[in-house]
Amino acid sequence: MNNRFEYPGDREQKSAARAKALEALLIEKGVITSSTVDTVLNFFDSKMGPFNGAKIVARAWVDPAFKERLVADTPGAIAELDLPEGMAGAEGEHMRAVANGPGVHNLIICTLCSCYPWPVLGLPPYWYKDPTFRSRAAREPRAVLKEFGLNIPNTVEVKVWDSSAQIRWFVVPERPAGTEGLSEAELERLVTPEAMMGVAVAKAA
Amino acid sequence: MQMRFEHFAITSMMGTQDAPPRTNGALCFGHDWERTAFGVALGLSRAGYFEWEDFRQRLIAAISCWENNHTFDDPSWNYYECWLAALEATIVEAGIATGAELAAALPPPAGGALKRSSAPSTS
Repeated sequence: MNNRFEYPGDREQKSAARAKALEALLIEKGVITSSTVDTVLNFFDSKMGPFNGAKIVARAWVDPAFKERLVADTPGAIAELDLPEGMAGAEGEHMRAVANGPGVHNLIICTLCSCYPWPVLGLPPYWYKDPTFRSRAAREPRAVLKEFGLNIPNTVEVKVWDSSAQIRWFVVPERPAGTEGLSEAELERLVTPEAMMGVAVAKAA
Repeated sequence: MQMRFEHFAITSMMGTQDAPPRTNGALCFGHDWERTAFGVALGLSRAGYFEWEDFRQRLIAAISCWENNHTFDDPSWNYYECWLAALEATIVEAGIATGAELAAALPPPAGGALKRSSAPSTS
């Protein structure tokens, strides 16, 4: 028996028609409303994600006193910002920021499975939970960072922070050179999830 | 503060084979119907129609079924086709709609996307 299938060119349209008909049926039955899908997605699009972390980092870049407070008392500093309600949530309470500087580069890893600070960073990339990445990043962080295209000079200390159920770390990357004239909103766009994990640095656009 | 259901549902999938596609920290939808299928599933479970874990087990089964019938690198893989099949099965199992209602209201599934036990034999 041949288990390979033929793939008709209209496969995409068929799935689309089926998903839309399913939604319509459930609306007709009064199980969901026409706004159910948008309500769910709005949560991911606007309430929790890397855009929150970007706002925190951009504020730290323009306000050195805020950056100090952010590192000393991360939840307290985040609460100063006008971020969506619940962002600090069940995970945010334990969030801790570590700041990169001239002599130090920080990298976050996680050896448990549910401790990624995604209210701030968004959803973790697939490789983040890979046991190989985690163990190698703990053992030889410079080599791993090099594979990400990040050459950290030997004069710079690399610190690895292992998130746990108690503390979820995120990195405040250094403000890129040549961004002195940018507004806070413009700076936000330079902050990537990778930079807040420490596997990349923030770059001027 | 209580963890939001959406938060719980997605973090429960991270680091597992049924984790949804994502890019740059955000969910990643190739087409609008994928977004619809995603939102309907979370919306139903959030409203208490079924346990999220029950849907996840259906999704894991749908993914395993696809993997058993395709090569590892088959480019026709679509995560949300498995998601949609799992959602339909969960809706019937939870008694939200009957199989007959779905059959009457929905166009036929994408041909051969998933090997269904109810599919007619090709031999």
